Amino acid sequence: MSLPDAVVAEIDGVIAAVEHHKREAAVDVMYALQRHYGYLCDEAMHYASKALDMTTLELESLATFYDYLYRRPVGRYVIHVCDSVVCWMFHQDSIFDYLCRKLGVPPGGTTEDGMFTVLPAACIGNCHNAPSMLINGRFYDRLTAERIDAVLAELRQSAEEPVRCK
Amino acid sequence: MQVETPLVLLKNRHLGRPATFEEYRAGGGYEALIATVGKRTPAEVLQLVLDADLRGRGGAGFPAGKKWQGIPAGYVGPRYVVVNTDEMEPGTFKDRILVNTDPHLVIEGIILCAYAVQATEGVCFIRPSYESDAVLIEEQSQVARDHGLLGDNILGSGFSFDIHVHRSAGRYICGEASAQIKAISGLRPNPRKGGPRTSVKGLWDCPTIVNNLETLANLPGIVRNGPDWFKSLARSAGGSGTKLFSVSGRISRPGCYELPIGTPLREILDHAGGMPPGRVLKAVIPGGASTPFMPDKYLDLEMDFEPMKRAGQRFGTASIMVFDQNTCLVGATLNLMEFFTRESCGWCTPCREGLPYVRHLLRLIEGGQGEEEHIGMIKDMAQAMRSAYCAFAPGAAEPLLSLFEYFEPEVREHLRQKRCPFGNPPPAMRGKACGTRPPTFGPTPCPEDQCPI
Amino acid sequence: MPDLIIDGRPVRVPKGTPVIAAAESLGIVIPRFCWHPALGAAGACRMCAVMFLDGPVKGLEMSCMVPAADGMVVETFHPEAVTFRRRVVELLMANHPHDCPVCDEGGHCLLQDETISGGHALRRFPGRKRTYLDQDLGPFIQHEMNRCIHCYRCARFYQEYCGYLDFGPMQNANRVYFGRFASGPLESPFSGNLADICPTGTLTDKPGRYKSRRWDCQRAPSVCPHCSLGCATVALSRYREVVRVEARENPAVNGHFICDRGRYSFGYAASAERPRQARADGVPTSMSTALALAGTRLGGVVEAFGPEAVAVVGSARSSLETQTALTALARAGGWRGPAFFADRTEQQAVAAALAALAGGRARSLAEIGQADAVLCLGVSPLHDAPMLALSLRQAARAGAVVAVADPRPATLPLPFTHLPLAPDKLPGAAALLTGAEAADAAAIQRALPLSPELWPALERLAPAFAAAGNPVLVFAPALAAQAPADARFGLFPVLCGPNAAGAALVADADAPACDDLARAIEAGEVKGLVLAEADAAALSPRLAAALPGLETLVVLDHLPTPSFAAAKVFLPTQTLFESGGTLCNNEARLQYAAPVAPPGEPVSRDGRGGHPPRDYARKLPGTDPLPAAALCAVLALEMGLDMPALSFAAFTGVGPEDVAPEGTRATRLPAAPTAPAPPSAPPGQGLVVVRDDALFATDAYGRYAPLARAQAPAASVVRLHPDDAAGLGLADGEALTVTVGDRRIEATLAVSAAVARGAAVVPRLPGWAGLPAAIGPETLRRRQP
Ligand SMILES: Cc1cc2nc3c(=O)[nH]c(=O)nc-3n(C[C@H](O)[C@H](O)[C@H](O)COP(=O)(O)O)c2cc1C
Ligand code: SF4
Ligand code: FES
Repeated sequence: MSLPDAVVAEIDGVIAAVEHHKREAAVDVMYALQRHYGYLCDEAMHYASKALDMTTLELESLATFYDYLYRRPVGRYVIHVCDSVVCWMFHQDSIFDYLCRKLGVPPGGTTEDGMFTVLPAACIGNCHNAPSMLINGRFYDRLTAERIDAVLAELRQSAEEPVRCK
Repeated sequence: MQVETPLVLLKNRHLGRPATFEEYRAGGGYEALIATVGKRTPAEVLQLVLDADLRGRGGAGFPAGKKWQGIPAGYVGPRYVVVNTDEMEPGTFKDRILVNTDPHLVIEGIILCAYAVQATEGVCFIRPSYESDAVLIEEQSQVARDHGLLGDNILGSGFSFDIHVHRSAGRYICGEASAQIKAISGLRPNPRKGGPRTSVKGLWDCPTIVNNLETLANLPGIVRNGPDWFKSLARSAGGSGTKLFSVSGRISRPGCYELPIGTPLREILDHAGGMPPGRVLKAVIPGGASTPFMPDKYLDLEMDFEPMKRAGQRFGTASIMVFDQNTCLVGATLNLMEFFTRESCGWCTPCREGLPYVRHLLRLIEGGQGEEEHIGMIKDMAQAMRSAYCAFAPGAAEPLLSLFEYFEPEVREHLRQKRCPFGNPPPAMRGKACGTRPPTFGPTPCPEDQCPI
Repeated sequence: MPDLIIDGRPVRVPKGTPVIAAAESLGIVIPRFCWHPALGAAGACRMCAVMFLDGPVKGLEMSCMVPAADGMVVETFHPEAVTFRRRVVELLMANHPHDCPVCDEGGHCLLQDETISGGHALRRFPGRKRTYLDQDLGPFIQHEMNRCIHCYRCARFYQEYCGYLDFGPMQNANRVYFGRFASGPLESPFSGNLADICPTGTLTDKPGRYKSRRWDCQRAPSVCPHCSLGCATVALSRYREVVRVEARENPAVNGHFICDRGRYSFGYAASAERPRQARADGVPTSMSTALALAGTRLGGVVEAFGPEAVAVVGSARSSLETQTALTALARAGGWRGPAFFADRTEQQAVAAALAALAGGRARSLAEIGQADAVLCLGVSPLHDAPMLALSLRQAARAGAVVAVADPRPATLPLPFTHLPLAPDKLPGAAALLTGAEAADAAAIQRALPLSPELWPALERLAPAFAAAGNPVLVFAPALAAQAPADARFGLFPVLCGPNAAGAALVADADAPACDDLARAIEAGEVKGLVLAEADAAALSPRLAAALPGLETLVVLDHLPTPSFAAAKVFLPTQTLFESGGTLCNNEARLQYAAPVAPPGEPVSRDGRGGHPPRDYARKLPGTDPLPAAALCAVLALEMGLDMPALSFAAFTGVGPEDVAPEGTRATRLPAAPTAPAPPSAPPGQGLVVVRDDALFATDAYGRYAPLARAQAPAASVVRLHPDDAAGLGLADGEALTVTVGDRRIEATLAVSAAVARGAAVVPRLPGWAGLPAAIGPETLRRRQP
């Protein structure tokens, strides 16, 4: 399967922008491929390796280090539920459990329809609105069971392409 | 009693949205830059910053001017400014508020810093959950570029400097300056110690200044109004400037407050609406997750680097997390250790192995299976964590050690009752995703569990 | 030179020495995992913590991270440091499996040592241990991630020191994993060192796995015989079989490491094909019968045709002891030889290369690592002398300029410039880069008018070489005449064979070469030949062809070569592992390899799978072989010759007793012999044949080592420049038939612009030895399906 021209152009652009220091584009290129494939499949890793003149091991070194790069299939919406101390204080764990139960997945799991993946996340910088979660670049504040139901329903309806990092 | 305090960094906050270029300009924005570029020498700007005694807002409080002086005199070649917008310290959200209030204040600050150190390129290192900030900075720096304030030959002065955003893919350790440089370079973000400082050999082996975004946002004010003005903003003797306090936890109006540096904790909490009804303050963490618990006896302590240091406390990022009488501090500490365990870079033993070690023991204690000897074991390891490679594990040791310093009875109550006295359910013995990997994992994602990371 | 006090004892060390090394110089070994003298400090394990009581650094600090400074007072056993180190071991052991009984590292495991030194004996941590899945890392290294203590030595060695990027750390925090993107063989030709530097059993030597506990092995310092560099090794033998070869530290030569060729080619010694029994006319017999027969037959030749009718051939793979004994034997009998080289030109070239080293111009591998500009002339480092590539990388890491002028394609794990030039163009290229003044564009264009694609590179290189303060010329002996007079340049010849230098020193200046002997046999002047540890086919196809014209052929060897098959009388010799011996490396450094174990059929084969072996013979099987030198003496005795007791000191100026552990340079170098004529363009039309080594199985011993042979490429490859391939009407990847004399070899064609125009690169294998100097379309043909 070859990449669509638009993705190729995007990747070429990202690399051209940091022309002298190609390596700086590593994460951006992986993000671009992740947006296209949904996650970083091996094919994506091989493509990135060629585009960046880095070995697949070097890229794997990075991809597995960071938590916003996914080396396994994820849902259309990745729900990063903050589990750091302030959200914890506001019973984040029961929110998390509720979400998992509601979607019928274990932590880190993806719903069967491929819509949602639930992941715990390190503090997302929204502590004044605890408990909080981040879905494809958007914060959801002061979560309650009702609010979660509403958010999930809204996302299920949404036809909008999810923004995932950029 | 609440006094109206001057707003410097957040004065455009009333808009409830990012201030536009015009709005920023109308309030005197970019005047500092216009009066500086090509008019003052870089050394003069540096002197202003030294005189203002601007201390880093990223946690360590290192004087910014002193750091800039570290660039070797006479060095020829590219120099970089890295704007640390990683802000992954739990409890901290000030940089996000700041960018979203006045992006041009930040941009002007970055350019002023670049001018002072004669940098050629600026990199804004932004964490993934702040994608909207990344976009905002990209858009607004284009606006600045269109006005000739950024890019080639700024304001016709011959000074050229440009900014680009580097998107991070997560992990708290990337906030550490040397790790951040490696992350930008497409290397594994293990911090680097020994060898030349980053101001001598940093990004792409060139002199690099890493500063927190808030630190740089203070520059337009300092340059425009002078060091004395900046110092006069502070309430503590010897302090300087205002500070963004991120207040969260059990407090009536959690949020980010700009107050003079040195404002006592009690007043800051008052600004945030005080304790909610029925809640009594037990402790705060005053400066983000890597500072110790500060019990209520310090309510009148001036919140500034030096006074807090003298009291055995740490100012950190001034991110105040408030814990009330109903919150289990063992649980809170366990939560912090879960965070640190997961975010460590995995380079050195005390951090990579020590954190899971204490985490496990805290889980036992919180779950009612703690033993007397576990207390000693935790203390031993917390002590060992202080001699880690970088400041990450020592940071994690701070809340841990202070838990035992101030709240050991609460810990022992867990042992006595064989359960959490606050009624918390026993924690999962094996983490939550990503920490949820089962013990077996291979080179890529763990083969048996679900976690995609 | 900072002065400091460690544990109450003053010490002065060179500036920049870390405290951990300063302590070591006092004999105080501070516990450590991540620090390694070759890799430097990482500060990762935190095991080397000591207390700094006074001086510029105070408090508990890592002794590997702190450079020694004046006025420091350091205490290694300060209670705080001891406690901290105990915690570190406790943490490391919290996840380390207790599988020491089945772990190959057991007994030489740093973690075992440091667990003891750290005083950690009882587990108090109640949690479970972390486990990982392992990868298959190929034939050499076994992966066992559960044992990893995350010292990062492997990754730092593999990526930073060696420059290969297919193995390294992945994941973060307590999940860090060292491995490859996917299972598969490690790409680095230095991967075997991982087994040596890994302080635990995470990365162990796969071929040697489960063969023996290390302490049960017989061990001895040895010297690698698989190229001319002479790296220091330790050979480990168990149950009459060498089971493992490890790197031995030699600061001047190989530092701490060796290449995979040197580590995994030892199998020839215990190979099932190795001839261990004497033969008379092809029939196995006893040693004494064979010796008597050899004496009688050779005596008969002498009687009938005179002593001149007997000749001796030795080789560059024998030890100095053997070479000397052969010389003594030949002298005693008044025979011809010994001949060590294929032809006079080669012998003169090696002698000239050694002569050039006089006056302190020889450089060691370690010194190459410190050079600021290196030109490899007619040498392809990774193939001709693999460890040279590692030294070049160290030089490049420190900023040196590296250029390789060689007709063969070159890959190196470092930034370098390849100048693919045919042999006759190399002298010109050398002149451009070794002059005192930087050659200008005009000179470059004049010297290489037909290679415009190389002009820009040469224009960049010329000033760098002219400005270098410490440049080195690495050269093949055929280019010895190019050694610049400019004393700035250090010299580093790369020879063919582990003791080629020894052979050149031992050989008389007017000694016959193999080709001369072949001519004499053809002319009927030589009727009897002694071939000692030499394969005629590999040395000189002409000699091999002449062998049937002999009345008698006595072969002494331990390899099953074609000459062994042709022998009338065969006498088995011992290998270097068994007899020991002195080898003279490419920089004329004499090094002694100690015997590891007596010869014998390995128990694994002897028992035919049964345990214990069921043959209760008095004599151990397979122990007939004798050292070649001893065989020479017995043969002399048999024939009533008075063989003088010659020592190699006569040729090298260094006696066996003077050979130091790290080697001693020969003092008696050939005096200004006639330098070989520079390589000239091939006569008439045709491509110059250039022989290329592979990492495995092209050296004399590696060809007979099963493990090394298994790594050799399945098909032979002929490499041509695209223009030359087009000229012959051949395309990349095509199947070829190569005609060598009356034989045909099958090969595939690889076309690459990294091959010099006008050169045909062929494998250095005995079968290819008969190719003429230049070949054309009649030799290289498309294979008809
Ligand atoms: C583990 C760790 C995490 C850090 N995270 C951040 C961060 O998220 N943002 C930040 O500005 N500084 C962070 N720092 C501090 C930086 O290393 C550095 O001191 C700071 O960016 C310098 O800027 P300043 O002098 O303006 O404060 C962190 C330090 C450590 C040790
Ligand atoms: S303390 Fe050690 S393992 Fe932890 S983040 Fe720092 S260097 Fe990495
Ligand atoms: S040897 Fe010093 S930290 Fe590992």
